[in-house]
Amino acid sequence: MDWLLVASVTILCAVGTLAVTSATRTAEAPLGLLPARILHLGIGLGVLAAFAAIPYRLWDRLAGWIYGACLLLLVAVDVVGRESLGAQRWLVLGPVTVQPSEFGKLGLIVILAKVAADHPPRRVVDLVRCILYVLPPTVLVFWQPDFGTSLVFVAILAGILFAAGAPLRSLVGLGGVGLAAAPLVWRWMKPYQQKRLWVFLDPNLDPLGAGYSLIQSKIAIGSGQLWGKGLFGGTQSALEFLPMQHTDFVFAVIGEELGFVGALGVLVCFWVYLLRGLRAAHRAQDPFGSLLCAGIVSLVGFHVLVNVGMTVGLAPITGIPLPFLSHGGSALITNLAATGILLNVGSRRRNRSQG
Amino acid sequence: MPQRDEDRTPLRRRVLAALLTVGFGVLALRLWQLQILQGEYYEQLAQSNRLRLNRLPAPRGLILDRRGAVLVTNRPSFSVSVLSMALRDPPRTVRVLSQLLDLPEEEIWKKIRGAPPFELIRLQRDVGMGVVSAVEERRSDLRGVTIVAEPVRLYPDRTLMSHVLGYLGEISAEELSVLRPRGYRLGDLIGKAGLERSYDAALRGEDGEQVVEVDAAGRPLRVLRQQEGRPGNTLVLTIDRRLQEVAEQALGSQPGAVVALDPRTGEVLALASWPTYDPNRFAVGISAPAWVRLASDPRHPLLNRAVAAAYEPGSVYKIATSLVALEAGAASRHSAFFCPGQLSLGGRIFRDLRAHGHITFLDGVAQSCNVMFWQLGLRVGPDRISRMARMLGLGERTGIDLPGEAEGIVPSPTYKERTYKEPWYPGDTLNLAIGQGYALATPIQVARMVAAVANGGRVLRPYLVRAILDPEGHVLARFGPQVVRRLEIPQEAWATLREGLAAVVARGTGQAAAVPGLPVAGKTGSAETPRGRPHAWFAGYAPAPDPRIVVVVLIEHGGRGGLAAAPVARQVFEAWKRLYAPDQLAIAHP
Repeated sequence: MDWLLVASVTILCAVGTLAVTSATRTAEAPLGLLPARILHLGIGLGVLAAFAAIPYRLWDRLAGWIYGACLLLLVAVDVVGRESLGAQRWLVLGPVTVQPSEFGKLGLIVILAKVAADHPPRRVVDLVRCILYVLPPTVLVFWQPDFGTSLVFVAILAGILFAAGAPLRSLVGLGGVGLAAAPLVWRWMKPYQQKRLWVFLDPNLDPLGAGYSLIQSKIAIGSGQLWGKGLFGGTQSALEFLPMQHTDFVFAVIGEELGFVGALGVLVCFWVYLLRGLRAAHRAQDPFGSLLCAGIVSLVGFHVLVNVGMTVGLAPITGIPLPFLSHGGSALITNLAATGILLNVGSRRRNRSQG
Repeated sequence: MPQRDEDRTPLRRRVLAALLTVGFGVLALRLWQLQILQGEYYEQLAQSNRLRLNRLPAPRGLILDRRGAVLVTNRPSFSVSVLSMALRDPPRTVRVLSQLLDLPEEEIWKKIRGAPPFELIRLQRDVGMGVVSAVEERRSDLRGVTIVAEPVRLYPDRTLMSHVLGYLGEISAEELSVLRPRGYRLGDLIGKAGLERSYDAALRGEDGEQVVEVDAAGRPLRVLRQQEGRPGNTLVLTIDRRLQEVAEQALGSQPGAVVALDPRTGEVLALASWPTYDPNRFAVGISAPAWVRLASDPRHPLLNRAVAAAYEPGSVYKIATSLVALEAGAASRHSAFFCPGQLSLGGRIFRDLRAHGHITFLDGVAQSCNVMFWQLGLRVGPDRISRMARMLGLGERTGIDLPGEAEGIVPSPTYKERTYKEPWYPGDTLNLAIGQGYALATPIQVARMVAAVANGGRVLRPYLVRAILDPEGHVLARFGPQVVRRLEIPQEAWATLREGLAAVVARGTGQAAAVPGLPVAGKTGSAETPRGRPHAWFAGYAPAPDPRIVVVVLIEHGGRGGLAAAPVARQVFEAWKRLYAPDQLAIAHP
């Protein structure tokens, strides 16, 4: 068991729970979203334990099925999904709404790890095979439209190809082809989708929406200074401006209430988590396990860098949440499942040498 | 484990770790910059500064008539809004506002609670200068309350063509859920009827937005970001305001409708419906009691009788019956008929108003002789009549660019069996031939049918908008004639029908529509209805040799078409002649 990994995840989940509660509590509901958060955490920890116990080789065998199921869910969300905040991302199953694109991230990692392990991406044809697996889910989430998640898919692809040793030349070439295809995709989009993409690229175009959130986020974080205003102390008006403070802008809550010390602590926890993830990749007994870990590290690393970068004004405003901290059940459960896989892969070698 | 020394993956993993570490380092440095180096600055901003988001409402587009006369414009106004997060003493402020605005406190609370604290909530539109200065004077008492300048829709001609123009209302929850991705927001005004509704997307502009830094008292210090809005586009209508005025005056205070079309293009030159309403009353959101009064008025002033209501067509249907009889050879110009004033069929006697005696086909049309049309109906059969009626565009929406168009009904044996589960009797055929029984048609449908007769068989889509201009006046879209279908009927049949219609006005039931110096043709109708006196119809065109205007008049329960409807049509024809062909010779050279 990698106790450092477990410790970092535990701290992150705890801080996230406090921040979400702080951001959502009101006079009428002093607990805010705490009950829902606890429910998500309960399910997520169960899933983590299960994934840590299940030998990861199973995912190798089931990869095709998992991938197919994820595609089906993504198609379903485009067809019968619920629209919210201008995008169709949720599936409603009775009292529960799930966001299939979150599970899709892990499904994509599994299939790419398998494909890249079975056919190491040395030749062009092997690269193309990987791309063909990424393309359908990426197009489906892009269509919802959810630019952020489609970027995450591309980041996972890049991370796994890089870790699998794809020649740098072909990776650069791929990027070039992607850029060349952009105008085609652009013409294919509806005007309001184009507008949303413009705002994504340049938040100044939407000063009331994304651009405004950015100003408020910076004010919240900056005013936290060294020690912060104390837990639940960030009641100043700037935060009330943030429409997504418990989801995409949860880091601003931490920055304001726990200050530089708390925000830096959260970054350190993520850094430890990611390095332990790479260590698990190193200790894996086969390329599949290694690439599985590399994919998970790419997923979490991309999310953290882009989300925190966004709240401090270094990256464009996207709908990418902060792993373990943002409110959102589907994402939390997926990330805890991924952590379970890291634990399992990381422990394999020792198990075998003992047995 | 196999040796993979040549493998570059361990190196790649180290590179990944290094990249991640660099990324986290950058983020940490940025946090240091924001929280430690600039921390006090942001702390000040958070404490003293208040950022305000303001919308800069874009004026809606203008609506002009075909000659550029302004039909709908905007005027400046002021609204009172609150930013609930900036309220210092909400209960006190609400109490003061309730007095100033004459709104119940509960209503203000409801609005404040219904929106996020950072959104500006509009409490009342178009307040008087008295309220504006009262709010300004008590600014220190009323922190969080702001006055916003907003354009308000103005219909200078008040009730003129209100059914064409339509009116605005606050966006409903259902509309919002569909339109939010298109930039619509809570509290927006949106077209609810007429052209305001069907062209809402073109008319509404894009609101500008700005972020303003304000001081402790809420006074703006400087604009941090600003995005200019864009006014809505201008609609240029096919309507001629002068003709519209005449049509409405001629209709007077009689429930009914007048439609004038250009039969060559389908352009609607006038479209009147009475009773009317004043769309200005909706421009700032109509009050609930006023709305209830309008919506429950038994005379239905909001109903556009020209487009959204279908009536028994009566004898104007004989146009379709004539055409099918002429096409089928069941009648010709010289056919002779005998009208004893009644017809016995299957042991029943069907009575006409009078006995016309020995008549020709043209006489029968001119006198609207029911017995002749009964005989023709029996000769050609119900299926052919209803098929012709459908070909002429009855029983289907015309596609005019107004919402809520009625479909009307063209009865046929299959229709009756399907709807009433009853067989078609020969008596039904007699009714069908003279437009009684189950048939229903809208005035705009009748106008389109007459236009097809006038232009030799082209069924057109009537339209109200000729062009859409951008705010600078450049043409964005231009609309022209759209032929829905073309009837292939021998020229001779058209010529005979037109001769008959000319005879209606020259010496028949429609003489009250005659205009000196302008040959008019047409058909009257007095349509029996189970709900009261017959509906009076006149449907005609002029100049008869080279038709350039179609006029259809319907007066609900007006009695005889020749007495009630034809004189209204005459006034429209007269006005058209005065405006477009003051001198008879000019007709040939438009």
